[in-house]
Amino acid sequence: MAIVQLDHIRKVYDTKVAVEDLSLSVDAGMMFGLLGPNGSGKTSSIRMMIGMTLPDSGLVSLFGKPFTRGVLWRVGYLPEERGLYKKMNVLEQLVFLGQLRGISEAEARRRSRNWCEKLQITEAMPKKTEDLSKGMQQKIQFIASLLHNPDLIIMDEPFSGLDPVSAALLMDTLVELRSQGKAVLFSTHRMDQVEKLCDAIALIHRGQLVVSGTMQEVKSAYPRNRVQISFEGDDGFLRHPAIASVKRYPGQVEITMRPSQTLTEDTQLLLAEAMRCARLTRFEVSEPTLEDIFIEKVGQSSPEDLAELAMRQNAVGGEADA
Amino acid sequence: MLSRVWLIARREYRERVRTRGFVITTILIPLLMGGFVFGSIFLGSKTVSDRHIAVVSIDTELALDLQTELEREQRQRDDAAASSAPAAAKKTARIFVDAMNSGPEVRGELNQELESGDLDGYLWITPAAVAGGRPTFAYTSKSGGDAAMRGTLASALDRVLIREQLAHRGVVATEMDAMLQPVKVAAVERGPHTDTESAKVSVSVLFFIMYLVIMLYGMNVARSIIEEKTSRIFEVLLAAVRPEAMMAGKIIGVGAVGLTQVGIWLTAGFVLAAASAAIHLGGDTIHITISGMQIVFFLIYFILGYLFYSSIAAALGAMTNSEQELQQLNMFLMIPLLLCFGMLGPLLTAPDSTLARVMALIPPFTPLLMYMRVSLGHPAVWEVAASIVLLSVSICGIIWVTSRIYRVGVLMYGKRPSVREILRWLKYS
Repeated sequence: MAIVQLDHIRKVYDTKVAVEDLSLSVDAGMMFGLLGPNGSGKTSSIRMMIGMTLPDSGLVSLFGKPFTRGVLWRVGYLPEERGLYKKMNVLEQLVFLGQLRGISEAEARRRSRNWCEKLQITEAMPKKTEDLSKGMQQKIQFIASLLHNPDLIIMDEPFSGLDPVSAALLMDTLVELRSQGKAVLFSTHRMDQVEKLCDAIALIHRGQLVVSGTMQEVKSAYPRNRVQISFEGDDGFLRHPAIASVKRYPGQVEITMRPSQTLTEDTQLLLAEAMRCARLTRFEVSEPTLEDIFIEKVGQSSPEDLAELAMRQNAVGGEADA
Repeated sequence: MLSRVWLIARREYRERVRTRGFVITTILIPLLMGGFVFGSIFLGSKTVSDRHIAVVSIDTELALDLQTELEREQRQRDDAAASSAPAAAKKTARIFVDAMNSGPEVRGELNQELESGDLDGYLWITPAAVAGGRPTFAYTSKSGGDAAMRGTLASALDRVLIREQLAHRGVVATEMDAMLQPVKVAAVERGPHTDTESAKVSVSVLFFIMYLVIMLYGMNVARSIIEEKTSRIFEVLLAAVRPEAMMAGKIIGVGAVGLTQVGIWLTAGFVLAAASAAIHLGGDTIHITISGMQIVFFLIYFILGYLFYSSIAAALGAMTNSEQELQQLNMFLMIPLLLCFGMLGPLLTAPDSTLARVMALIPPFTPLLMYMRVSLGHPAVWEVAASIVLLSVSICGIIWVTSRIYRVGVLMYGKRPSVREILRWLKYS
């Protein structure tokens, strides 16, 4: 049973198509990444998942049934726009939000304390929210969305604006929740965060699905044509004919190989050439990164195409409006 | 659902009652209002200024008669004032009269004295052109519109001339006094409102309170919705609570704060009334007279009025994104309330006039106006019942509309919706 199932959902705001024919599914114990640049329709999709707005067409199902507000107590939601009562005491605020989710005051208090300890912000509990740093406020919201121990956790840009230590702490927490069998879905525009974390992804652009599937499915569709080499010495091997492009970084290079039937052999030849020229500390062959895939997919459309697409979307929006 | 409404209302109440603003308004507003009411009475009774006028006439007898008549009136006023307030010897305005013969240079001198402030005005009496006719009178004063003085002079002259006529017909002075004794009309009213003046004061104070609290707390509802929109906590709440429950909780929570405040003020009013059953100020006796029924009706109309206006305010808050935008729309709250305020005068003088009866049945005006009518006038039972039913029905209607606007409006960031969009929201869901 899929925890979240979107079937061909579509949402049009007055003049803008926010989401177009989006389908995806998330299972229990799965970490799902919803990827896309700013304004691509991630937040609109998430709002439809929790019934905050309704799709114009298509079906949203949670826990195997068409959406009703009745299942919301099993969902933890962290909105993109962070919001807390500024003047309110942190612990009181957490208890209030916990109670709103239907847990008793004493239980809400106990869980809030535990979570604050876990996320290392116990010193914030007696303070007013407005006196806290942004990162701290984010942690508090993070806790607020998890207090009622939800089976489905939906987070819109949970790591944006966090320092690396805090981001890592929250990522670890999400991984732990996944291992407890929770379904976790989060959106981000930072592709690199997703590579390690997610079991499956959906990459959307201008409201449309560009790529989706498990991480392996997505990656296996692409040849292993990326080579990373760390080396000392002569870089003459970079003139090898099988190389399409090179990005140079201090002490290392990122190479994209030419598309070829004999890619594996070409790569081996490159390795031999490199070993002849320089002293290698690393030679790694891999699929393109998600970022590369995204740029490749989206970058295909020229600026003219994009402008035309926008105009067509406006026209569709206008018709729907009339 | 209900427990969530309660949770939201409780949070709203707690957070608001704890603020410094609440404490300050609770203490400051009654002080200001009390100061205003009593201050104006106090000033009104204390501003007595003596007048010095001249009467110019060829007929010196007429001038002297006028002088004695004015003095007689003065004595009567003094007596009346002394009997009504024995404790504080009340001073009334005194008029000093100089009688003088007219002459060619007199007017110039008088004008000079008027200019220098030695004189407040002079009455110029021109004898009648024909025998047996009335002389003509002209009163010149520093302040052109000294209507009160002109009135006093006119009535005094009336009596002087009547006396003169009576004397011609052989009526003796004592009989004249009896005939010219001014009539007294005692203010006796049917119903419970025996002490009319002080009833008006206390009812007006409650009117002000209702007006202020409905306006302040209605705006507070709108403001707190905007605050939650800008702080984006809305989305967190919406994931757990229905928008209707959020709105209900907010209106109840903020309203409870208003009730608390009014409760404090009323209690303070009672303590004050009990401590000094009658407060003497400048000779006028002001009782704080609030009957139990008045308070019951005050609370009924206050709560209904608050619900009416705060639901509208909630819709306004949901439609806007900032305080500035709200200010452009808050005329929807202000105009009906200001109209009520404008009706205060007519209602105080004639609480049962047709205008008052019609206005009090129109829902936006009902809370304030019907409350005034119940307290001061004699509305029929059906009128009171109809006003409450009409108001309640329109509140239900407004809440229905508002909750729809709210549901969609709270998630609208960025731009203000057009009327067309709002109509679409009403159809949506």
